[in-house]
Amino acid sequence: MDKILRIDVGAEGGPKATEEPLGEYAGLGGRALTSAIVSKEVPPLCHPLGEDNKLVIAPGLLSGTTAAMSGRLSVGCKSPLTGTIKEANAGGQAAQVLARLGYSAIVLEGKPKDDTLYKVFINKHGVKITPDNSLKMLGNYDLIDKLKGEYGDRIACISIGPAGEMRLSAASVACTDMELRPTRHAGRGGVGAVMGAKGIKVIVLDETGMRMRSPKNPKKFKEANKVWVEGLRKHPVTGESLPSYGTNVLTNIINEAGAYPTHNFMWGRFEGCSKISGETEAETETARGGEATHGCHRGCVIKCSGIYMNKDGHYLTKQPEYETVWAHGGNCGIDDLDSIAMLDRLDDDYGLDTIEMGATIGVAMEAGLAKFGDAEAAINMVKEVGKGTHLGRILGNGAAVTGKVFGVERVPVVKGQAMPAYDPRGVQGIGVTYATSTMGADHTAGYAIATNILKVGGYVDPLKPEGQIQLSRNLQIATAVIDTAGVCLFIAFAVLDQPDTFQALIDMVNAFYGLSMTADDMTELGKSVLKKERDFNTRAGFTAEHDRLPEYFKKESLPTHNLTFQVKDEELDTLFNW
Amino acid sequence: MSVLSSGKKIFFTVEDNLIPNFFLLLQQGFKLKVLVGSSISSLLCDQLSVSPEYLEERIQTIFLDGKPIDDVNSATVKPGSTLALSAALPGLVGATLRKGSYYAPLRSQISHRETDGTQFLHEGIVSLKLFNLLLKELGPKFLKQGLWINGRELSDFFKRQPDDFWAGCKVIEVDGQKVAPERLLEITWQEEYFFLQVLAG
Repeated sequence: MDKILRIDVGAEGGPKATEEPLGEYAGLGGRALTSAIVSKEVPPLCHPLGEDNKLVIAPGLLSGTTAAMSGRLSVGCKSPLTGTIKEANAGGQAAQVLARLGYSAIVLEGKPKDDTLYKVFINKHGVKITPDNSLKMLGNYDLIDKLKGEYGDRIACISIGPAGEMRLSAASVACTDMELRPTRHAGRGGVGAVMGAKGIKVIVLDETGMRMRSPKNPKKFKEANKVWVEGLRKHPVTGESLPSYGTNVLTNIINEAGAYPTHNFMWGRFEGCSKISGETEAETETARGGEATHGCHRGCVIKCSGIYMNKDGHYLTKQPEYETVWAHGGNCGIDDLDSIAMLDRLDDDYGLDTIEMGATIGVAMEAGLAKFGDAEAAINMVKEVGKGTHLGRILGNGAAVTGKVFGVERVPVVKGQAMPAYDPRGVQGIGVTYATSTMGADHTAGYAIATNILKVGGYVDPLKPEGQIQLSRNLQIATAVIDTAGVCLFIAFAVLDQPDTFQALIDMVNAFYGLSMTADDMTELGKSVLKKERDFNTRAGFTAEHDRLPEYFKKESLPTHNLTFQVKDEELDTLFNW
Repeated sequence: MSVLSSGKKIFFTVEDNLIPNFFLLLQQGFKLKVLVGSSISSLLCDQLSVSPEYLEERIQTIFLDGKPIDDVNSATVKPGSTLALSAALPGLVGATLRKGSYYAPLRSQISHRETDGTQFLHEGIVSLKLFNLLLKELGPKFLKQGLWINGRELSDFFKRQPDDFWAGCKVIEVDGQKVAPERLLEITWQEEYFFLQVLAG
């Protein structure tokens, strides 16, 4: 993993691939690499779908190794949804295979000469780029079936569906999972639209003949990986809750906390929540012959996913995650798991961010396009997006655009990106992250990593209100580190509670690269990523005024707790002071 | 107390593998007659036979009337309270809601703050909800002891069960009389509460 593959899609005679050494980007991976390239090479004021934007696809520092949980792939660009810098990441097999093929990143750049659609094939012998208009407007599932026939099943694919081809701002980039299904998505921020604007439908990665990446110190690496795996397996969250119920285990709890956004963030509790909870979902999957415990890539020891079958016992989709079940479920007043699973399948097939689409349908329902709870109408709205009708193109551009078109004031977005499944009036600290994240409203920007172990930002007094700012800051720094290593964020709990497990992660990076990084070095790395992203956004015209929640969160109370968002603007403005 | 006095008593003996089917009801919440006015720890450990070690280590997230709890020894259960219990949870918000969490400041506006303190113990009714890992670990015990369920929820539950479920029910009794599954489905269930007891065997 010592080179970058650049594909100039605007070259004479069609896209041309060149390889170059890492150069100044050496030592970076995942989000650190995508944000470094975008912040240095992309003019911040460029049009996100234009010639000057670049799509950077980068595996993490530990991807392609035997390190458990190292299968995250980062996708970065200037976002067509937010106008800010963007990093979205996904699981699946692509990061592992791309890393084993030796690439730290693929950079799609330039502007296509015409509307020809291309596929990129990469194996141990090199790169081949071929025009293939027969792939136009194929859904991700049909696309992958076609490619399997052509290239066999020892491949991993990075692709876009019709939404990406139509350059819709909610379009995702899909990665195939272990069963070669397009179920893992770099969903947020419209990264799929940028891939579509580059005229690339799919990147096929063939792992035939490739081996695991070798660490500089195999013995130490193996020892650290063993401690790492043991730590993940013994912790009740990573070893029991997530494998048993997936991330949707959160539904009952967030609902009980009164912070479960319902009917387009109108209320904090959903009456039908137990019908769509992780507990019910797991029971349903098992009863129908699916699976409630399943990994999304080889080397996953948590296995938080699953296989969801329809009523007839046939595969419908992977286990919809918490955010998806909330977005298409409670947020739209829908308490039918089968309908939610169908919406997840359609999103994956068209290549759409499930959070953005669920939030958008919630806004559309508030506008009167359908009644809350009408699952059939919700399914039809997503189908409109897939067909590219006028209504579909409005919806496919996200909640902010839909709210504007239909005159809705209550639109839950920050910097144009829809909020995830936690009402910021209930858990106000997450509202701080929504407001100040470099990515727009993003729940993973400030995840539960061991900030107390990292000691980023110093000691936080839990009794003082400013603790919310400090904690959010620390969490955002720590998350940037995890995104850079390319490990799954769901390791967070084990790392939080078990210092030896966190140390094992640092030890693995050190043993693999022959380094001697400390927790302080990791903190500095995280800070440097955020500084680059923040600097890009500033040059793109973003100011403190953009680091705000929508006005109605300060004016309308959340009924369950009778609370508005109370963190002051001047407090938010201190977040990046370190 | 009268709200729990008038309902029918329903008794099931089912095959072992059908016990999880009843967990949906335990997520939605059930009612128990207890001595209220005590702390959460006293209610769970002294009255409901949960071990102190289990409460300390396994029950990581607790809500009292929708508010996350940090101190189980000071938070007091009152008549009509709803207590929800969960194991540890993933994600930032999962970590934030955990009792005594390092991240508790992120939800300080909704945290439970005890103002009344422990009160005179007296008989009362509380609602209990069990989530995730606690369903399979505590659920069978509560089902065996018996609990009170809202009739409408019970009716919805029965209607959702597949044929396999009914085939695995060895005994069904209503007020001491054996009944066929069809009879259960014919009952017009009201908003009253029914005493449900489920044994595996």
